[in-house]
Amino acid sequence: MNALILSAVLGVIMMFSGILLKQKSAVRGVAITGLAALLLVNILELRGIHFFKIDVAGMMYFDRFALLFISIALFATLVYFILSAKDMEKVGADYAEYFALIFFIICGIILVASFKSLLILFLGIEIISIPLYILTGADKRNLKGNEGSLKYFLMGAFSTGLMLMGIALIYGAAGTFDVEKMKFAIETPAVLPVTGMLLLLFSMSFKVSAAPFHFWTPDVYDGAPTVFTSFMATVVKAAVFIGFIRLFDETFGTFQVKWQMWLAVIAAVTLFIGNITAVFQQSVKRMLAYSSIAQAGFMLLAVYAMNTSAKEGILLYAAAYSLATIGIFSVLNKLNDYTFEGFNGLAKQQPVVAGALTIFLLSLAGIPLTAGFLAKFFMLKSVIDTGTGLWLVIFAVLMAAVSVYYYFRVIQAMYFKEGKADITVTGRFKWALVTIAALIIILGTFPNILINWLYF
Amino acid sequence: MALFGAMMVITSKNPVYSVLWLILTFFSISGHYILLNAQFLAIVNIIVYAGAIMVLFLFVIMLMNLNHTAEPKKNRWVKLAGVVAGGCLLLVLVAALKDTEIKQQTAEVATGGIGLIKNLGKELFSTYVVPFEISSILFLSAMVGAVLIGKKD
Repeated sequence: MNALILSAVLGVIMMFSGILLKQKSAVRGVAITGLAALLLVNILELRGIHFFKIDVAGMMYFDRFALLFISIALFATLVYFILSAKDMEKVGADYAEYFALIFFIICGIILVASFKSLLILFLGIEIISIPLYILTGADKRNLKGNEGSLKYFLMGAFSTGLMLMGIALIYGAAGTFDVEKMKFAIETPAVLPVTGMLLLLFSMSFKVSAAPFHFWTPDVYDGAPTVFTSFMATVVKAAVFIGFIRLFDETFGTFQVKWQMWLAVIAAVTLFIGNITAVFQQSVKRMLAYSSIAQAGFMLLAVYAMNTSAKEGILLYAAAYSLATIGIFSVLNKLNDYTFEGFNGLAKQQPVVAGALTIFLLSLAGIPLTAGFLAKFFMLKSVIDTGTGLWLVIFAVLMAAVSVYYYFRVIQAMYFKEGKADITVTGRFKWALVTIAALIIILGTFPNILINWLYF
Repeated sequence: MALFGAMMVITSKNPVYSVLWLILTFFSISGHYILLNAQFLAIVNIIVYAGAIMVLFLFVIMLMNLNHTAEPKKNRWVKLAGVVAGGCLLLVLVAALKDTEIKQQTAEVATGGIGLIKNLGKELFSTYVVPFEISSILFLSAMVGAVLIGKKD
């Protein structure tokens, strides 16, 4: 609750700072300070200090899981601001408004992570989506960005319609929006809740870009300004996954048999399409878009399994994936050439940047000692714990092996190819990158420092 | 009257007349809402649909300047397929409605106070006040976005 109210207020503050502050660096300072305050306030709530006493009528519930995820999301956003906020200046003239929209998105993320009522879920998803449509088209002179924005808007509006229809059907069946009060019969689920559940499943799969609903992803991620792609593909995606898990755990937990097979198929198809298509990409930005689809397939395994290790794993996965991807995108921002050739000879010119980048890529590929390995391990373990779906585990491991190919292509370009990478970085940027790389390795060796926050 | 209006919407040759008949249909549906004691829904139906959306419709139709010559010729099979598809939808809807349990409860005409504005307002500002306030964030962000997109560079 602390973070929710503060983030809405900060959004308004950012709008005013655009008028009052003349210098862009001052605006950036306000945003970074505000976000740090947000993180602090949220961690205070995690330790049991509440600033606001508001009767939410049981519509939101801030448990440890939600609060810890919000902390991870806020931390990832803070890292994103520190690394890439300067690059937002290149997008357009409305610098402060971009920050305002991002703070509103954070508001939506908090809602999605803590909903107890389908009404709040819907509001949260909308508050996330609408600013994203705008940020995608923020660079108005770029035709590809405009195309991506329009595509995203039309498809997103359609999937929101499906979601609303699903919620309406479930309301018709249960007579309430409240997740706690819904009681569906286990043996013979009626037509209404099952139809509603399927509609919700499809619309949530669209929002996390799972396989048969992924067609918007490459165009939107490729067309959007690179700074905003970085935010969209990481923090936002992880947040929608948390909503996905909560929805299917709490609302439809009773008839898991009905949807488990659907989810297994969606996860397998997502893994297959994401990984195989990423192999054929020539642009690193587009490759990362497909790789984000592939990573979504891995995260879907947690929704499939739905047990304790799945819940611990998804938090670790969110942290590992967000940090690594934000790091890669921040380097990509500094480059002018987005193809694989753009990375040629980076290791000779900037050994520190190339080293950090290598760690990020290894983490995404899931090589041991990095956080990405343990995250993937938790996902697979959670599926094995359910006792079913061994084929899914084998398939996922196979696909992870395929993913090594395209991540290593970047490393190969950096270290073993001659060329002149066009890049200039500041000393502070290098320090930030190294810190994140160290953090990924620490998380990979001692995951308990994150997971223990769930229980104390 | 609603049925008559709806029939006239699809049989009118001129699209502008169709829109006018559609407005009549919306008004008569609002009448139904009032009969069901749902005042708020009736008023919103008139304001939003008959007022705002129909004006948009009229504008679009007049800007497009549709006339008889512009109408594409459809062959008979397409028409037949349309009739079959529409008939199937009607069949499914009637079959689904026939089986619902709501049938016994429909006698509650003009007795339930749930659609009255007073009760609606009470609910909105007591139980549902938090989502109500949160939706203000949604609209604020949408407004910021609209200005951002619409502004000249």
